[in-house]
Amino acid sequence: MKILLLASMLVLGLAGCASPPETRPLSERQNLKVDPEVVYTMAVTELFEKRLVQPGGDTLLQVQFAVEARSDTELAWKVTWFDDSGMVVEGVGEGYRKATLVTGQVRYFKATAPHARVTSYQLHLREPK
Amino acid sequence: MLLRALAILTSLAVIAGCATPTRYVDPAADDGPVAMTMDYRDFEKAATDAVEDMLASGAVDNPDGGRYIMVVSRITNDTMQRIDTDQLTKKIRVALLRSGKVVTTTAVGLDGAEDEMAMKARELRDSEEFDQSGVQGRGTLQAPDLSLSGKILQRNHRVGKEQQVEYYIQLSLTDLASGLAIWEGETPIIKRGSNKAVSW
Repeated sequence: MKILLLASMLVLGLAGCASPPETRPLSERQNLKVDPEVVYTMAVTELFEKRLVQPGGDTLLQVQFAVEARSDTELAWKVTWFDDSGMVVEGVGEGYRKATLVTGQVRYFKATAPHARVTSYQLHLREPK
Repeated sequence: MLLRALAILTSLAVIAGCATPTRYVDPAADDGPVAMTMDYRDFEKAATDAVEDMLASGAVDNPDGGRYIMVVSRITNDTMQRIDTDQLTKKIRVALLRSGKVVTTTAVGLDGAEDEMAMKARELRDSEEFDQSGVQGRGTLQAPDLSLSGKILQRNHRVGKEQQVEYYIQLSLTDLASGLAIWEGETPIIKRGSNKAVSW
């Protein structure tokens, strides 16, 4: 009986010492990723984020960015959302949103996280083919 | 005669060889041509706009905690196309469910329950053939708090040598307790293209 008790305590102790699963990223993720082709035609002039307080007390991450066009151009953008452990949180759709900009125009775009557990994001800007 | 048949067969084979091969389209990276009709990208845009706006507005966040129960009401298709509006509402339902804020009832609907099994399963009550401990009891179905309704409109115009097709996806979320629309949204989708392209 005593041996069984000791064995159980040893097992429990070992389990407590077990290392947590590795969640190290392979490379640092950037919040903003802009393709080189886009840089020629426009500039990202602002990138804001804030947490929207919901009536029930939850908060949702919201991102707003502004782009200023140097020439008439088209833009495709997409926000990928991540939780605290770096796992992707699925949004409504997975496609890029498209926008048209005229020379000199500054446009503001907003995206709201699909769940309160979202803590970070990656915004990707590219030129549609 | 044989020679002619051979020639026809050869030309058919050549044409078939030149045909564009069928391929998969990845919705996450689709820069393909735009159709004048509504395609999956239009529904995705409308659903994304609607859900993000609903979440940001706080309209679907229950201040008492827990999830709201939503029922899908009528989404009128006022376009020249045969559209299954579930293409739009399903995306909204899935996203709201994933958000943890809203769950949709399939036990109630304007044209009957979406899933008639909720009522059918209750017909097993008092049947001697079924173990009654597993049969659903009375008063367990949840009534909806919110109703999603809307309309998809289409307007066609001639613009010079081109045609312009405008689609408006209008949605309302009604609080069934008060009858008030607590959220409303409209996503316009405007397409301009060849007069030869059909939008129906």
